[in-house]
Amino acid sequence: MGSLAVELKNVSAVYEGERIPALHGIDLAVKLGELVAIVGPNGAGKTTLLEAINGLLPIRFGKVLVLGKPIGRSSHRLRQEIAYLPQDLFFNPGTPFLTRDVVLMGRFAKIGSFRLPSSADRRFAREAIAAVGISELAGRPIGRLSGGQQRKALLARVLAKEPQLLLLDEPTTNLDPEAKEEISRLILEIRSTLSLTTLVVSHESGSLLDEANRILTMVGGRFLTGSAEWNPLVQVRGIAQGI
Amino acid sequence: MLCSLLGVFVVRMNLSSLGFAMSHAAFAGAALGLMVTVLDPLWMAILFAVGTAAILGPLAEASRMKEDAIVGAIFPLMMALGLIFISLTPSAGIGSGALSLLWGSILGITMNDVIKLAVLASVMLVAIGGFYKEFLAILLDRKLAAASGINARLYTYLILFLTALTVALSLRLTGGLLIYTLMILPASAAYQLLYDVKKVLILAPLLGMFAAMGGFLLSLGADLPIGSSIALTATALFLVSMIFSPKRRRRAR
Repeated sequence: MGSLAVELKNVSAVYEGERIPALHGIDLAVKLGELVAIVGPNGAGKTTLLEAINGLLPIRFGKVLVLGKPIGRSSHRLRQEIAYLPQDLFFNPGTPFLTRDVVLMGRFAKIGSFRLPSSADRRFAREAIAAVGISELAGRPIGRLSGGQQRKALLARVLAKEPQLLLLDEPTTNLDPEAKEEISRLILEIRSTLSLTTLVVSHESGSLLDEANRILTMVGGRFLTGSAEWNPLVQVRGIAQGI
Repeated sequence: MLCSLLGVFVVRMNLSSLGFAMSHAAFAGAALGLMVTVLDPLWMAILFAVGTAAILGPLAEASRMKEDAIVGAIFPLMMALGLIFISLTPSAGIGSGALSLLWGSILGITMNDVIKLAVLASVMLVAIGGFYKEFLAILLDRKLAAASGINARLYTYLILFLTALTVALSLRLTGGLLIYTLMILPASAAYQLLYDVKKVLILAPLLGMFAAMGGFLLSLGADLPIGSSIALTATALFLVSMIFSPKRRRRAR
């Protein structure tokens, strides 16, 4: 497997029915334990990149390796090692699931079919909920939590899953400034506790970008050359101003 | 009960249109089975319903077809075929077995049918129990389930297949025109009342049983067609659940 958690070699991807590639000859190598932030304007291909790394998006050319193994749509076993937090995933108030059940689901893929979660699995979920500080909300319907609390529950689900790779798509979008900072702090804590390799897509400056080992800028499905050396704050402000 | 249990998945996953199309396909299949006497109506209903799921599922996924378009395409075709098959059935007349496919007739069920129903129902319960976790995960969010290592597509198709089977099995009870109510209404009523899908999975079949038994008694007492009576009872249950729904009260505040 070597020391690389993620490796993309000349990856191109086109969405069905579209002509312009969403990803254009992407090369990327992420070392184990690294925190890589990806920034860029809307439509730059950031979410597409995360979906390609998670094997959810069929790629047209190139190769995506995760933990040394090629990943594709049928790589369900390999995806058990990846925790992916999609962009703007919020549950509506009528969602018929309790918070503790949503967190416990983090362990489902590893448990396997025809088996129910054990008491150890349930304990794991309880500890994960406590670690993000929402124990008192465990029995409440997930849709009745605030946006920030729902994000915490999804992070507890990540913890319960014990992944090796964490993919976060704009994890602090649509949260108030206080919740943004708290969620960023939790992500950094979880990452450090589990020594997680992390790729985070972000639009916003803050502690996640401050702590990143590298910041890469995407525009038009490509990485901007030399973006790793750019000052993240200047870069993010530039993007916000449409530069 | 099985119909309403599957309804929990159908309602939450917005598969109602496909369920609607399948129920009419099952009706057409059973009508063909009655017309061609060497064919078994139950197996033909299963074949047509499962065939519809197998064709429309991938079609809807690949072409991102609107749900209305699916219903619009399949419903008239299957109803037309079903009615043509019935009209060509030699013994078709008011109160015959052929028309019971439209309106339902629990009294027309033979012991042979009961045995087939029991076997197939057991297979379905084992499947639902065996893949309970995976089904729960895709009920919460299909994309999140797929991202976390669950074969969401496979389990979605399994639910479609089980739905088709259930629709075909329940055809004799409520008839092709009203089968849909027994699938959708008890599940929708349970969702109105509860916030925990595990409890919904228990309450919906109970409400389905209540609607079926209530409808049966109403049909006997008021001398009404059984399918219509069940549909009326299930609709009444749904209206009551709307009135007492904590979700509705919450929205109104």
